[in-house]
Amino acid sequence: MLYLIGLGLSYADDITVRGLNAVKKCKRVYLEAYTSILMAADKESLEEFYGREVILADRELVESGSDIILENAQEDDVAFLVVGDPFGATTHTDLIIRARELNIPIETIHNASVMNAVGACGLQLYNFGQTVSLVFFTENWRPDSFYNKILENRKIGLHTLVLLDIKVKEQSIENMARGRLIYEPPRYMSIETAAEQLLEIEEKRQEQCYTENTPAVAISRLGSPAQTIKAATLKELTQYESGEPLHSLIILGRQVHDLELDYLQAFCENIDQYKQFVREDQEFFKPPPYVPPEEDEFSD
Amino acid sequence: MRGLMDKVTNVRNMSVIAHVDHGKSTLTDSLVQKAGIISAAKAGEARFMDTRKDEQERGITIKSTAISLFSECTDEDVKDIKQKTVGNSFLINLIDSPGHVDFSSEVTAALRVTDGALVVVDCVEGVCVQTETVLRQALGERIKPVVIINKVDRALLELQVEKEDLYQSFARTVESVNVIIATYVDPVLGDVQVYPERGTVAFGSGLHGWAFTVRQFATRYSKKFGVDRSKMMERLWGDSYFNPKTKKWTNKDKDADGKPLERAFNMFVLDPIFRLFSAIMNFKKEEIPTLLEKLEINLKNDEKELEGKALLKAVMKKFLPAADALLEMIVLHLPSPVTAQNYRADTLYEGPADDEICKGIKNCDPTADLMLYVSKMVPTSDKGRFYAFGRVFSGTVKSGQKVRIQGPNYVPGSKNDLFIKAVQRVVLMMGSKTEPIDDCPAGNIVGLVGIDQFLLKSGTLTTSEAAHNLKVMKFSVSPVVQVAVDVKNASDLPKLVEGLKRLSKSDPCVLTHMSPAGEHIVAATGELHLEICLNDLEHDHAGIPLKISPPVVSYRETVDGESSMTALSKSPNKHNRLYLKAEPLTEETSLAIESGKVSPKDDFKARARILADEFGWDVTDARKIWCFGPEGNGPNVVVDQTKAVQYLAEIKDSVVSGFAWASGAGPILDEALRSIRINILDVTLHADSIHRGAGQILPTMRRATYAAILLAEPRIQEPVFLVEIQCPEQAVGGIYSVLNKKRGQVVSEEQRPGTPLFTVKAYLPVNESFGFTGELRQATGGQAFPQMIFDHWATINTDPLDPTSKAGEIVTAARKRQGLKEVVPGYEEYYDKL
Repeated sequence: MLYLIGLGLSYADDITVRGLNAVKKCKRVYLEAYTSILMAADKESLEEFYGREVILADRELVESGSDIILENAQEDDVAFLVVGDPFGATTHTDLIIRARELNIPIETIHNASVMNAVGACGLQLYNFGQTVSLVFFTENWRPDSFYNKILENRKIGLHTLVLLDIKVKEQSIENMARGRLIYEPPRYMSIETAAEQLLEIEEKRQEQCYTENTPAVAISRLGSPAQTIKAATLKELTQYESGEPLHSLIILGRQVHDLELDYLQAFCENIDQYKQFVREDQEFFKPPPYVPPEEDEFSD
Repeated sequence: MRGLMDKVTNVRNMSVIAHVDHGKSTLTDSLVQKAGIISAAKAGEARFMDTRKDEQERGITIKSTAISLFSECTDEDVKDIKQKTVGNSFLINLIDSPGHVDFSSEVTAALRVTDGALVVVDCVEGVCVQTETVLRQALGERIKPVVIINKVDRALLELQVEKEDLYQSFARTVESVNVIIATYVDPVLGDVQVYPERGTVAFGSGLHGWAFTVRQFATRYSKKFGVDRSKMMERLWGDSYFNPKTKKWTNKDKDADGKPLERAFNMFVLDPIFRLFSAIMNFKKEEIPTLLEKLEINLKNDEKELEGKALLKAVMKKFLPAADALLEMIVLHLPSPVTAQNYRADTLYEGPADDEICKGIKNCDPTADLMLYVSKMVPTSDKGRFYAFGRVFSGTVKSGQKVRIQGPNYVPGSKNDLFIKAVQRVVLMMGSKTEPIDDCPAGNIVGLVGIDQFLLKSGTLTTSEAAHNLKVMKFSVSPVVQVAVDVKNASDLPKLVEGLKRLSKSDPCVLTHMSPAGEHIVAATGELHLEICLNDLEHDHAGIPLKISPPVVSYRETVDGESSMTALSKSPNKHNRLYLKAEPLTEETSLAIESGKVSPKDDFKARARILADEFGWDVTDARKIWCFGPEGNGPNVVVDQTKAVQYLAEIKDSVVSGFAWASGAGPILDEALRSIRINILDVTLHADSIHRGAGQILPTMRRATYAAILLAEPRIQEPVFLVEIQCPEQAVGGIYSVLNKKRGQVVSEEQRPGTPLFTVKAYLPVNESFGFTGELRQATGGQAFPQMIFDHWATINTDPLDPTSKAGEIVTAARKRQGLKEVVPGYEEYYDKL
């Protein structure tokens, strides 16, 4: 049996009771260690907590060495631990397809993910559009396809959750081409960088998808003891000191509910100014004023 | 001399180019001697420009060497200069280049910084393969040639030819030079064919230190006949005869009575020379003084005592000093930097022809932004350090000046391949010596100290942030012969690594790299080049004892057909898929890419036009070429044939990098690809850019490319030399037997008119060329000396995947040597099932 177990956001004991029970009976326990990190736990504390050896599974192992993970999983119980929810990142669907091909039974144990915990900032999950990722720009790779998706969301008034790039254990291109397994030091994108990159693309595309004054919410270390939320405009966020990872960013859509704004008040230095920016921002993509259909005259 | 550098109109930058052993360095001596740098007695023997010990020992030039000379002209001569000139002092920056084909890259580097070329042709051997190569290169760089037909003494003393025969031989040589010029000339350059009657051809003997132009004789006779000099010059060449009885000029070779007349050239130019030769060499002592008097030659007392050849040399040197003839040609007919840069600017500069930088180059403006091209690195006496040798095209370079050092991969606006450093010192290159100067204005050639660590081999220096690069040099030779080197004592390894770096810097064409098996590879253009490089490495750059493997040839991987099915590879996370097919490029297309006619830097629409019109491409495909490879400019392309794929632009960079990786080292024997076109048929991508980064796409592109190649009848190509061998008739048989044994194919066999010499041309696989020279010497009693130059890549038409075939044997041996698995992995290794 292959157990895909969500670990939640931060603490070692964020794991669900069912998840913990499953881990305890597994012969091998893999911790996927590249799509996210647990902020308040590490390999050692997990091992202590589970009473099991935990094998760190890096990108190479998960993507190219799935045979090792799935080895004899028809008979043995294998746990594959994923920070957040197992299906939060699309990446692991391939592992499940392979397991299916090998006739390995699969059980998934869900947990909280940034995708739902983001509600902590008071914005309603119903009002979110497509989620996008923002990658670290390099000198000649500055992809801007996320811009179109934010644009689509904003056109229909929805918020956009922007996930920020993390590079836990990546090879540089040069090392990859030489076939050397040398890894770059881990890097996590900060709110400041994200805001700058977003504004850079707006500058380049000039389609007024968002502006410097577009209201946003920065969520840092969600679910951890040091969770911080900050509501400010994109321009203000370029000067923000977001601190330790992990971070996410939300760009507000037009449909902001009064209750949402009331909730954000706690995270805002100057709520009146923020509200002013929200009102100004609502002018973008404003639908034409409602014109009631002309009532048909009764014919008889 | 520094003062002269400011009068750019009076500067001449020129290279001396020729086939090996036609006497460049010896001729250069007479110029150096004229400038007073070496004594007259030594000229012709000293080979001042051969500064290296091995050059002196072997009697060949290996590195090009520069020297600046000062020259004065008479007012009369200055009047004949058809470009702007100030005063009658001239500065000549001369570069003596090697003639051996293996060192062609040195010639390329020399040509880049000069505007004119003195082409030396052996009077007996005539125009040879390397004469043609260097001339072609010169014309490609828009460099104006003048010619000297050298070793005339050999024709007179060894072959004992008659006057008319000699004239015919001269005429033939001039004609064959002109044929080459006509073939390769760039229309912008105008008529650059050479004409003896216009003074662009000289005749002489470097060894004996004499030479003349028709113009010089015309000057003598114009006074005597009272005829205008330019008219006289025309009369002294070609079908022009003088009837001594009627004292009339005619263009018929018979007089009114049908008696034969003597050609004017023979009568007025050759006759005095022939008389001197016969009088001196036949020891007719009594005739000599009269002749000398008539020709106004005054010998010193000790010289009068001389006899035979020594006397001849002394007399001829007085009569027709070589330096005078050469300087006259150089000063009168070669362009000044001002003249030359006007028409060279757009071929030199990569940026737009109308920007400030290009204008600065065009006007050779010393006050514009600095544009300096470093064409090569010259070792200093300080071990491991180099002078950056180059030409100032605009602006002025000063000691202490901060400059932008732009390597060949620099793209304007980026920081890639860019350093900003100060020039420590500016020097003049004087053979093996240097002279410090404060600054150097546009149009001159200089050496720079202190920037060598920031340049690999060549590059552009500028002070303008907007400046594009000066065009990277294209070499006519490629490093096809390689060896693996290793240290004898393991502790010397760091020295070897450092030495390889220095070697690579010191030679424009040598390549050094590490093979996948961890061997240090040195690749050179031929056996001789390799030998010199290894010698330098062992004794100079690294200074440690080395183990050297037997030479091996580098191959290319190609395909013979289209992929039999679509090659599919999935990214590591399986969310991205690439569908490719490989097919061959035509040889013509590959050659066009290799020669730079079709290049990644072209405007894509113009390039598509050329590909469609001249190479039969579909225009839509031609416009969608994503990249070239390897090195971003090699003869393989990736064509985007996808239809409306979302986010495609975002992965383009990763695909390009992946292809650069794949095309540098193919699936069969880890060698570069050649003549392959990869078509991207379709692409599936993950919706979020974080899951389609370089880490996902780059290895996938490589795998898909490999699979596509292995599915498309893969082949390997081997390099083939064109061999030219000159020898007497009786040696021809020996040549054939050696060629047969070595898989050689004879292309032509011709007798050189007027001589007993035969020229045999043949194709010889580089693989078979090791030891060829030695065997040839043995088989011909030392009478045949081959010149080998890389000519083309030939496909070996057997399946390299079958270990029993000829190609398969090569592959197995190469894989074994490189420490790869002996069997080539099948396409399944790189192919993912749906």
